[in-house]
Amino acid sequence: MALVDVKGFSFAYRTDEGSARPVLENVSLTIEEGEFCVLVGPTGCGKTTLLRSLKPELTPVGECGGTIEVLGMPLLRDGVLVDPENGGMDRRTSASAVGFVMQDPAMQIVCDTVWHELAFGLENLGTPQDEMRRRVAEVAHFFGIEPWVRQATEDLSGGQMQTVNLAAVLALRPRLLLLDEPTAQLDPNALKRFLFLLARVNRELGVTVVMATHSPEDVADYATRRIDLGEVGDMGARDDLCRSLEPRWSRRAQALANESVLEACSASFRYHRDSEWVLRGLNMKVARGSVHAIVGGNGSGKSTLLKLLAGVQKPQRGSVRNTLSSKQAYLPQDPKALFVCDSVAEEIAEWRMRCGYSEADERVALERFGLADHARQHPYDLSGGQRQKLALAKLLLTDPELLFLDEPTKGLDPTSCADEARLVRALADEGRTVIMVTHDLDFALATADEVSMVFDGELACTEPVGRFFENNIVYRPNKASRLFGALL
Amino acid sequence: MKPHPFATYHPAVAFAYLACAIVLSMATLQPVFVVLSFAGAVGCSIVCRGARATGRSFIWIVPLWLVVTIANPLFSASGSTELFRIGVRAVYAESLLYGACSGAMLAAVFLWFSSYSSCMNSANTMALFGNVLPVVSLMVSQVMRLVPQFVARGRGIAAAQDATSAAAPQTKRQQAAGRFRIVSVLMGWGMEDGIERSDAMRARGYDCGARRSTYKRYRFNRADASVLGIIVVLAVIAGAWAAAVCLKFSFYPTLSGWGAWWAYVPYAVLMAVPPILQFKEWLLWR
Repeated sequence: MALVDVKGFSFAYRTDEGSARPVLENVSLTIEEGEFCVLVGPTGCGKTTLLRSLKPELTPVGECGGTIEVLGMPLLRDGVLVDPENGGMDRRTSASAVGFVMQDPAMQIVCDTVWHELAFGLENLGTPQDEMRRRVAEVAHFFGIEPWVRQATEDLSGGQMQTVNLAAVLALRPRLLLLDEPTAQLDPNALKRFLFLLARVNRELGVTVVMATHSPEDVADYATRRIDLGEVGDMGARDDLCRSLEPRWSRRAQALANESVLEACSASFRYHRDSEWVLRGLNMKVARGSVHAIVGGNGSGKSTLLKLLAGVQKPQRGSVRNTLSSKQAYLPQDPKALFVCDSVAEEIAEWRMRCGYSEADERVALERFGLADHARQHPYDLSGGQRQKLALAKLLLTDPELLFLDEPTKGLDPTSCADEARLVRALADEGRTVIMVTHDLDFALATADEVSMVFDGELACTEPVGRFFENNIVYRPNKASRLFGALL
Repeated sequence: MKPHPFATYHPAVAFAYLACAIVLSMATLQPVFVVLSFAGAVGCSIVCRGARATGRSFIWIVPLWLVVTIANPLFSASGSTELFRIGVRAVYAESLLYGACSGAMLAAVFLWFSSYSSCMNSANTMALFGNVLPVVSLMVSQVMRLVPQFVARGRGIAAAQDATSAAAPQTKRQQAAGRFRIVSVLMGWGMEDGIERSDAMRARGYDCGARRSTYKRYRFNRADASVLGIIVVLAVIAGAWAAAVCLKFSFYPTLSGWGAWWAYVPYAVLMAVPPILQFKEWLLWR
């Protein structure tokens, strides 16, 4: 018997105007017990809608048609939701038998400590205390969480948080595990570790996995089945991209010879008197009009360095000299930190009085960033890529000469990444200086003029982008990626 | 959390001890008992929070004590031993001593409470009351999760705002609005989060109709029971004898009614419990 059986499923969201916006049309699929199935498609193709329709608590509201059966129980029959009284799935069964992991690691965490988070679902189901203790112990052991099981969830890294989310769901012993782009916000190392754990869950525990993603190559080794819900774009080769970028790089070499606008002189920094030094005697120079990428592993201090350069933190030793300190803008990791208004248009207009730009400028900006059709939408209703663009548009209207970007590609799909790369390059061509911190080496290759690698609180090396990645053997971009494909 | 002498026991032990100590300290305004409870509070604070943190508390404890000590004779001119006169007001030794005692009692209670907060975090407190109030226990856990997240986010928003100097406030009014803006960004973000988090909670069976149970991190075993028993017995005896002494004792007009010396012994022993537990630990690891 199939674990998931979807027949002729279609779904449309109702818009404010009353019309219906179709997302899925006539989708049919069956998934057998023990499969590792990836749902592939670009942003907005209905991956999330389909996954959520398989879990009764999360069923999206809209007009639907077709039939859905999960674990042999009907959820939807000819476009009508089936109640538990009529043989549908009740909430207890759904909570324990169907697990769901979402994209944002921090957002799903409910409790303050890791052990409580692991026990949360079990508490909800009223599991007896001894059984609960055993199940928490079991999953903590399986995922290697034991060493930090008493830690506060707030202090975990993104990868650790997502592992806890997976473990917390596994503690309920599901037969079916649904994951909605679970690795989109993780750095490359954490991504590999998470997918490896997921594969173990599938193979060793026999849990059926259905995972939505826009980069199926990450799970190619583990997946038993791939279902395409839309075009994800072609792969492009790194060498091809390098070749196409060469003219740009030789042109940009002039920019790197400009005078430096930002200089760090043996800057040292730590967060508390008793804590370790995060940066130790770091030296750095950024040339006017260049795009400078700062790369490095997790916890290498690259985000701290950006804060120091932007003047958010002051070094305890050494100095940071910034000639553009009054004309700078800072794009935080999550653009939501910049949004305060109820619509895109208002958001863009927030600093109109202060910075003296006009309504016409705003229209031009919206046009340029492809947001003109979304002017009346709430910023939170935009997609991740659009949010990033809105934040950039808002910052650019203040006409900054120096821009700081903190992980600008976090959670973005390849198309949005490519848009972002083009935008940043265009900014540099306008003569603006851009400093960005990223763990996305593909993006750094496509965008930067110069790359610095942070290691152990110092800059291990700083080189023009071409040379930097040529000289690295391990720490280099992918051979081929969809971002390169989108840029070529 | 710093290792403290109660850490090896069930949270009920720390709770019972500190609750007794706080109540008795507040109830016994008598020079000897006050000295004992102050000494006990300092001792407990040293073993629970460390000598350094305790030393730092003295920075405000001493001025507090001085203010209360000096204030009392100024407001209450009772007693029989006149020390000196300020204008027409006499200052009596008894009244000064009364002030000193209430000041020291206040200081002791403050110290007990700081020891309490260092021994009992939210997890401990919930381990005690979680079984009775599962919903409250979850709420506290959620709040403990959200507060640091909000603070970190607020900092991030402020940082982004301050680092965007190109949009720096031009007027005083805009400057004032800047801090308010952080709050409104936080509110919007928090509400957006709420929707997703409630989805995540429901997905894991929150509010699915079952009666919630509570994960128990601590087991109550025989060692806990014996220590708890000793503490309770000590507290009852100390409390009863302290009550007997305090009822007979009076500050005015002259200090009188000290009672027998052995009436103070159980109280002194009770106050010495944390250092004794610490000493036991020290013996073990010597």
